[in-house]
Amino acid sequence: MPVRSDEDIARTRAFWVANRPSESAAPAYVPGAPVWWHAALALIAALVVQASFSQTIAFRGATVSFVTLVVAWYGIRTGTLSGLVFGLIAGACEDALAGSSGVAWTFATGLAGLVAGAFARSWLSDIKAALIAGVAVLSLVRYAAFVVALQMQNRPLAMPETHLHAALWQAALNALVAFLALQFGLEIGGRLAHRR
Amino acid sequence: MVPIFTYRDERKLFAVIGAVIVAALIALVQLDAAKSGKPSIIADAVTSTAFVLQSTVAAVGGAVHGVGAGIAAAPHLAAQNAELREKNRALRSENARLREALALAPEATEIARTTAALPGGIDASTIGYDPENIDREITLDRGSRAGIAADDGVVNEDGVVGRIVTVTPLESTVLLVTDGASKVPAVVQRGRWWGIATGTNGRIRIEYISQDAKLRIGDAVVTGAGRSFRAGLPLGTISRIDHPDGALYQSALLEPAVAFGRISRVIVVPRTSIDDVAPAPRGD
Repeated sequence: MPVRSDEDIARTRAFWVANRPSESAAPAYVPGAPVWWHAALALIAALVVQASFSQTIAFRGATVSFVTLVVAWYGIRTGTLSGLVFGLIAGACEDALAGSSGVAWTFATGLAGLVAGAFARSWLSDIKAALIAGVAVLSLVRYAAFVVALQMQNRPLAMPETHLHAALWQAALNALVAFLALQFGLEIGGRLAHRR
Repeated sequence: MVPIFTYRDERKLFAVIGAVIVAALIALVQLDAAKSGKPSIIADAVTSTAFVLQSTVAAVGGAVHGVGAGIAAAPHLAAQNAELREKNRALRSENARLREALALAPEATEIARTTAALPGGIDASTIGYDPENIDREITLDRGSRAGIAADDGVVNEDGVVGRIVTVTPLESTVLLVTDGASKVPAVVQRGRWWGIATGTNGRIRIEYISQDAKLRIGDAVVTGAGRSFRAGLPLGTISRIDHPDGALYQSALLEPAVAFGRISRVIVVPRTSIDDVAPAPRGD
């Protein structure tokens, strides 16, 4: 996949900031790598919200995976290696909080970060619809990797049909949150940047 | 002359090598812990940090719930204390707080009674859930420092909640009896018919009951003596019976005795104390 140069990204970003976001021809949804502590804070917030309210915010047995969203966001703004490392850290934290998943989340989320990073700086990362669909696919890939990792630890998932149903709902919920973030988060961010 | 290796390239190389080393370290630490069956250093560090954050969030959540309950009760209070509320707004919030404390008193009394019936029981509070909601699990604010160990049974005033699956110094994780991976020996109280209670990710199903058992809707099901629980603790009541022709066994769906949607306080029963005590009397 063709990768854009730093100059390309800087030019697109300047164009985006110079125009109102809604009028921009090139929205540049993933303009550059985030500061590490922004990513760390986002991950901590995602973990705390999920560990404290996963049952409250569950819909049809599935909960929004903010961790997946944060990993996807970081991966697509950095690259494969950074995405992998960030995903491994996020997954290790999830395994620690989940208790009985062994190392399944570590490897599933690491893979998700790797996959997200593979699309960094590609044309796909500037198309909103592709990003939203990508989040849904990434959620399913991560869930599938989780199930495989569990099987490899001799801990098969009980009631697989129920979990497949939950996985599909989780993918849809994650895509919805990604859509809302891209629609409104970037709009707000763009306006703030425009004012400055 | 063009330099073939710049300082910038060197930094990038170090960053890549560092990232690879970190990734490999995380993978190795996690795999090593998985092989030994004990929580990894990462798990200990994360749960210790999470303990503080989750306890804070749980406390804030409790406070918000208390205020909400107070606000919900406000119309009733207004009817009774309209004049008083008019005079002093501060008294209203104080009144709401006291009402919440009063509402919590029966639960505290029940927990205290159950604790008294279970010598050695460790009182604990729920502070979290499975982050991905895949397993039916809850996180407790007590860990190995409080004497909790893996496979300890967990109950509350209504009945069986689950068993401990993971323990770190400050926290422990409970696999609820409603989880698909949970298996508990169970007995239909009326006829002493044995079976295995397993979760359906919401309710409980008792399986492998003999075909000649005359089950009825509403029959109480309790635990049989097992690894984590002593006999006689309530699991639920039968709400549906599946008695297929030609099958070796019959099964039944249970309405759980515990309201799993609102578990706040539980008692962990150490395995060492199971054999020493008589069955706990029910609160009612």
